[in-house]
This record gives sequence, C-alpha cells and structure tokens, in this order.
Amino acid sequence: MAIGLASCGSGESSGSGGGSGDASSVTIAQASQPDFLDPALSYTIHGWEPMWTTYMPLLTYKREEGEARSELMPGLAEAMPEVSDGGATYELTLRKGLKYSNGTPVKAGDFEHAIKRVLNLESGATPYYLVIEGAEKYLADGNADADIPGIVTDDKTGEITINLTEPESAFPFVLAMNFSALVPGDSPFENMSKEPAPGVGPYMFTKVVPNREFVLETNPNFDENTVPGVPVANIGTVKTVINPSVSRQTQEVIDNKLDFMQEPVAPDFISEVLERFGPEGTEEQRYKEFTTLSMYYFFLNSRIPPFDDPKVREAVNIGLDKPALARLFAGTLEPGCSFLPPDMPGYSESLDSGECPWGDPHGAPHLAKAQQMIKEAGAEGAKVTVWGDNVDPTPKVTQAYADQLNQMGLDAEPKIVDGGVYFQTIGNESTGAQTGFLNWFGDFPHPSNFFFLVNGESIQPTNNQNMSNVDDPHINKELKALGREPDLDAVTDRWEALNEYLIDKAYLAPYGYRKLSTFVSDRIDFENCTQINPVIYNDYSRWCLKDK
Amino acid sequence: MDADREEAGAAGTEFTLDSSEELAGDPAERPGLGPWRLTWRRLRRDKVALAAGVVFLLLVGACLAAPLWADEIAGTTPEENHLSDKVLIDGRETEVVDLRGKPIGPTWSDHFFLGADSNGRDIMVRLLYGGRNSLMIGLAAAFGTIAAGLILGLLAGYYRGRADSVIRWLLDVIWAFPVVLLGVALGTVLALGGLELGPITIAGDSLAIPTLVIAIIYVPYLARPVRGQVLALREREFVEAARAQGMGSLRIVFREILPNVASTLVVFLPLLVANAILLEAGLSFLGAGVQPPNPSWGTMIAEGVERIVTAPHLTIVPGAMLVATVLSLNIFGEGVRDALDPRSKVRIEH
Repeated sequence: MAIGLASCGSGESSGSGGGSGDASSVTIAQASQPDFLDPALSYTIHGWEPMWTTYMPLLTYKREEGEARSELMPGLAEAMPEVSDGGATYELTLRKGLKYSNGTPVKAGDFEHAIKRVLNLESGATPYYLVIEGAEKYLADGNADADIPGIVTDDKTGEITINLTEPESAFPFVLAMNFSALVPGDSPFENMSKEPAPGVGPYMFTKVVPNREFVLETNPNFDENTVPGVPVANIGTVKTVINPSVSRQTQEVIDNKLDFMQEPVAPDFISEVLERFGPEGTEEQRYKEFTTLSMYYFFLNSRIPPFDDPKVREAVNIGLDKPALARLFAGTLEPGCSFLPPDMPGYSESLDSGECPWGDPHGAPHLAKAQQMIKEAGAEGAKVTVWGDNVDPTPKVTQAYADQLNQMGLDAEPKIVDGGVYFQTIGNESTGAQTGFLNWFGDFPHPSNFFFLVNGESIQPTNNQNMSNVDDPHINKELKALGREPDLDAVTDRWEALNEYLIDKAYLAPYGYRKLSTFVSDRIDFENCTQINPVIYNDYSRWCLKDK
Repeated sequence: MDADREEAGAAGTEFTLDSSEELAGDPAERPGLGPWRLTWRRLRRDKVALAAGVVFLLLVGACLAAPLWADEIAGTTPEENHLSDKVLIDGRETEVVDLRGKPIGPTWSDHFFLGADSNGRDIMVRLLYGGRNSLMIGLAAAFGTIAAGLILGLLAGYYRGRADSVIRWLLDVIWAFPVVLLGVALGTVLALGGLELGPITIAGDSLAIPTLVIAIIYVPYLARPVRGQVLALREREFVEAARAQGMGSLRIVFREILPNVASTLVVFLPLLVANAILLEAGLSFLGAGVQPPNPSWGTMIAEGVERIVTAPHLTIVPGAMLVATVLSLNIFGEGVRDALDPRSKVRIEH
C-alpha cells in the first residue's frame, strides 16, 4: 500500500475550512486528494480510510482491540468461507436483505462485477485476483462483459463460489480488501472517484469536490443489524478538506479548529504536541502513536558486488546505526531487526529484544567489527551507489545510510531520483541498483504479503520487487509450502522461523517499523473512540464526540 | 564603448571624471586615458559599488577557505552525519539531533558553529562548501552564457540573413519559456539520466548539469543585445574601412567588432553571475539543481523548510548568504555599468 507521508506542506493558502462546532459533524484534513474514491482503485491510506467506512467486502476485520483487530470476520457474507479442494475453493453466502446506500438490493453477482472492475480498470490490486480461475484470460481478452469462470454466483440464493488456480492461504485477506467490496452491478467500468458508487457501510459519500473536499454522511440503509459486529456511525457527517500544509493542519488541530489530521504531525510541532497532548502531556490526551504493519529496509542486491558477498551484507547489518536513522523520522520510526513487523503473525519479538544476530537495534552499531568484516571481504573502498527517492524523509535517510556505509569502509554515493520513477528505475535489471531505500506497508496481516518481496520466483528483469534478488532455495520452498496452508495459526511458528532465517542470511538490512499517529481535537472522545485498525488505521465510524 | 567614444574619452571631454589637479592644468598636456582606466576611475568614486565588491570578495574568500574551516576547526566534512553524536555546550552534553529529529542550534564554538541540520551535519561547513558550489556554478554558468551568447550574437548580427534567422528562432524558443520552468524541466530530466553527448558523459548528480542548464537558459538574454549591437556596429565607418582594406570577415569580427562589445560583456558579467546564483538556488530548492549530498544554499534552504519554526537557522543562514551574495553582486554590477557607460540601461529582465 502506498502511504503518503507529507512531512510539511508548502501552501498556506487553502484553509482547512469549516472548523469544528457542529455537534453532529466533524471536519478533518488530508494533505492531498486521495488517489481514488473508488473501491476498485484506491490504493493509498488517504483513500482506504474513507473506503473502509463506505464499502464493505464479503469479509472484514473485527472491530475490536488487541490482537483480535487483525482477525477476519464475516462482512457482507453470512459466515466465514467454507474452504475445500485443498484450499482452492471458497464458498460464501451473501447476507439477506442487504441494500446499498441508494436503496438498491445487493446481489451475489455484484461480487463478480466488483472483481471485473478491478481487472478492467487495471487496478494496482490486480495481481491479488489473478489467482482466480479464468481471471488471467479475462484480463488478456479485454472483454469487460465476459464471464470469469472461477467466480460462480447465484443471485437467488446469494451463494458465491470462488475457484482458485492453486491454494492461496492469504486469499481470505484479499476478500477483506476494499477492492473486493461490492458495488451495484451496473457500476460502469470507469474511475468513479468524482461520483463514488453506492456501497454498504456506516457512511456514504454525499459530496465530492476534487482537490478541495469530500463529505461522508451516515448511510440510512445501514443499521446495527446489517452487519453484526460493525457498529453504525456515531457522528452524522465527516467532512474531509484537502489542505496541503501539514503545519497548518497541526496548528488547527491544536487550536481545535480541525477535528483530525490524517497526516502525521508536522516535525516542527511534534515536541509541542507530545508535551501538551501526548500520553504524559500537560493537557488532556488527544495524541497517540501506533506502530503500523510496515517495515523500512535497505535492499542489498545479492547478485552484484559487493553485496554478492554474504560477509559484506552481514557487515552492513552490523554497522547500521538504526537509532540514528530513527531520528530522521522525528521519532516516528521504531528501530527493529525483524523483517515481519509487530502485529504480524510470524513476527519474531526476540529479534527486537536483544537476540538480533546483528546487535540490539536500539543500541549503538558495532562499527569496528563492520569495518573489519569489510576489510576481510576485500571490499574496502568498493564503489556503491545508494538509491533513494526524493520523497521526504527518504533523501535524508539515503544520505545518512551512504555516510554510514562510508564509515564502514565502502565508497558510497547517494543517488536521489524522482519518486515517480524510483521503483521502475531500481526494479530494472539494467540499472544494476546495488542498494537503496525501500519500505513496505502491509496490505493485510498475512506474512505472505511481506515475503513476496524476497521470493526468488518473483524476480523479473523489469518492475522487479525483489530488489535484493533473494533467490534462496529454502525460502522459495517454504513460501510455496506455506502458501498452501489455509490455517495461518497452525503455521505461525514456521513463518517465524523463516523470518529469522531471512534475517540471519542478511539478504537485506531492516532498520525499523513506521509509527503513525492519531491527533484529534478536544471535541472527540479520545479515550473511548479512537480505535486503530492495523491495516486501515483510523476508523471514522467509531469516533464519537464528548458528552457536553 | 565604441571607437568614437573611445577617442572622445581620450581627448578628455569626460571632464566631470577628472581630478581638480588635472582640470587645472593645460588640457593639451593632459594625459590620454584608455576606456578601462576611465572605468576604474569612475568606479573608484562609487563607494557603495566598491563596498559591495569587497563584500562579494569576502564571501568568495570565506567559501574558498571552506576546507580550512572543515579540517582545522570543525573537524568534519560537509557530508558527514552526526545523528548519534553529542557535543559539549557549557559543560553539558547535548545531542546534535534529538530523538524527535530536532537539530542543535548555533553553538558559536568550533563544532557546529552555526548549528546542525536534520542529518546532524555541520551547517557552517555545509554553508561554506555550498557557497563554493553556488559560486562555482554561478561563475561557470555566466562565462558559459557569455561564450555562447557572444558567438551567437556575433554570428547573427554580422552575417545576418539565414544565420540570423536560425539563431533568432533558436533564441526565441529558449526565450519563450519562463526561466524557472525551463530550468526545472531541463534540470529534472538531466539530473535523472545525466547527459551523453558523443564522448562526453556527465553524471546526473554532477555540478556540471545545473551549470549547463543555467548557462543555456540565459543565452538569449545576452545574445540578443549583442546581436543588436553588432548589427549597428557592422554599418559603422570603421568597419567599412576595414572591409575596404580587404580584411576578412573573421578578422573584422574579432579585431573591430569584438572590442566594441567587450564593455557590454563586462557589464553583463556580474549581473549574470548574480542571476545564475539565484537561479541555481531556486532550482536546487525545487530539487532540479545541485543533487545531494552536494551542498548548495538552495538545497540547504529546502532541507530546512520543514523545521522553520523549531530550527529557523536552517533556512535563515543560507538565505542570508544568498541575499548578501546576490545583492553585493547586483550593486557592484550596477556600479560597473555606470562606470563603463553612465547612459546605458542594461538589465536582465525575465
């Protein structure tokens, strides 16, 4: 998932508008217009937060706290899917009497239509659905009205059967993504961001003015019985204004002129906000940070010198000053050593609590040892280009990393390229990218959503996502086997072992997990109504205002 | 200054610039002064311009001494990060960058004299090295503009006809784009892929890229006035006389016309340098100029913007240096222009 973390906006011209005051409404801000306001297309957190409350897939996440919030529950489906054929067939039944926000009845066939829209619109999520039987052919043929043979629906009974080409243990999580959310069967095969399609959820879109604002209002066709476990919205209207200045957003939340800011607090204000509104602040708490399902790392291309030498890769991991890098994120990066982040099944807590083979991620690096290893590997003075994009704070991180490599004994130079072409550039084999900045925010809490980044079978000459070019037979074999295991709980220890194996091999250099924040005005009941979902983050429908 | 006015100057008709002793003497015995000596005499009387020139020279001297400051005083390099380091301030250990990423302010001591940036790099060291880069780019770009603009202006103005049409068309194309827009477009493209022209290869992060971009952008601003001047000069009697004597075109251009446009170039030089430095800062601020980790005043300002409230020194210090440099160059340039030809009104306007 793409995360737009604007650290500081430049424009101070556009007001956040509205401000707070209306008892049944809140005004919140985002720094930029969401990529899309269409469940088939939206692939950023700016879009996912509103999608989460307006479009319901067949499965969804439990609206609970703790570990349960990462667990799935039935959404528009009556129950969790029946899995057969060794994990290749999923059978679900649609709840009875469901209606979209415009009053149109929800039909089982709408699910196939939603998936067709994902494929037809070339959504970023397309790869997740190509495992459905016939999906690849449907995509290749380009006939929007054609059938996807792997999806069989019955509008009368509400039954939905999905046949996969091979077992895919993460598929239930795919069914819980907004891309799988049902929209009316007559929704056009086009981007509907300007006039979002009706959906099933606590809220519905009532107004969209691109690059200025969009408004969510409670959905009259959604009540507490529509989807048991999904509460109705507490606040009547959520107005989102687009304000590119994060500094201004922060100031307005401090002043209670704005009820919530989607972006992290501007670095300039973070100390003040923590001192006043943090957990140990001088005023009533309305700011908190939470660790996301994310991982920040440097790829180490194991096919190109000097990182084709395991000793050099190990030296980099040993010499990396992770707490120093965390300072570049204004404290919003939790130093870590694990590839899988906290809250992810398979996460190895021991790696972050003193058992990391490369040293305590919270402690000082073993620079002398790293220098010695680089020397022993004969890589001293080896030329290294460190790649990074120009989206803050990446340039700073890239420069700091290059400086650390130089201290280890390499001859590193940072190379910053435009964010719009960064991944294509480093993912192209002919570029020969040796090392550089990468991060990954999980699309769902399943380890496979991270491990595809190191799957040897996914290496390709262009648009490669396995930037380290990890092609380890043990990892490949385990990924294949674990991908067929339908019960994640039963194989969590194997994922954990694989996570530790990957770290031990030093195929990449992880250095932390990103923390995001919730900062609200004093109108919102911070203590009781600001729950976080690890994938979607802020759930507007569960917010409530303080009793006056 | 053209030949006629050179003669007039030599005859002493510019009496307002002569000293009282000279004026008191016999005009017939008054020594003749060349145009450059006259210019110097006029410039000497413009104290403000001279002061500005001195300020500029001091800035250049400081920037040239960057390695001295870095090695002998600060003990660091412009690229070295000190994210986890601590410094002693009033006997107390202070983090160069705190856990929330706030860098230390000016210590007014040898280490971090003007504070640190978000990466824990010494601002003073980066400021001086950044100044070197900015000045180097400004000077190189200005000379590049002068070389290209002069050649194109001479060719178009002297040969006229088809050469003039093609060159004018080329200049109009460049002129048609707003300076910053063209700079950002060229700078971004070249920074990404570098430049390969036959055997010449320039890496995208080389300082030569912004130098080249800026030099190209300002060519029309020089070539057009030069062309106009050459068009007028080629019809003058001394050129006709040279032609009548059987001089070839190249010889006429270099021996007769070029010396007469030299004063224009001298006037343009400081103004071009100032504009080039300013444009470099703008492009670097927008990410299309000097590429990290190379420091420049523009990149330093860009890096400091997000901390403008809690660490204003990150933007104020390079900004002040930029203002001082550009202002001093502009004032000095105006002085030179007035000294060379008090009637002229050369401006670089865009």
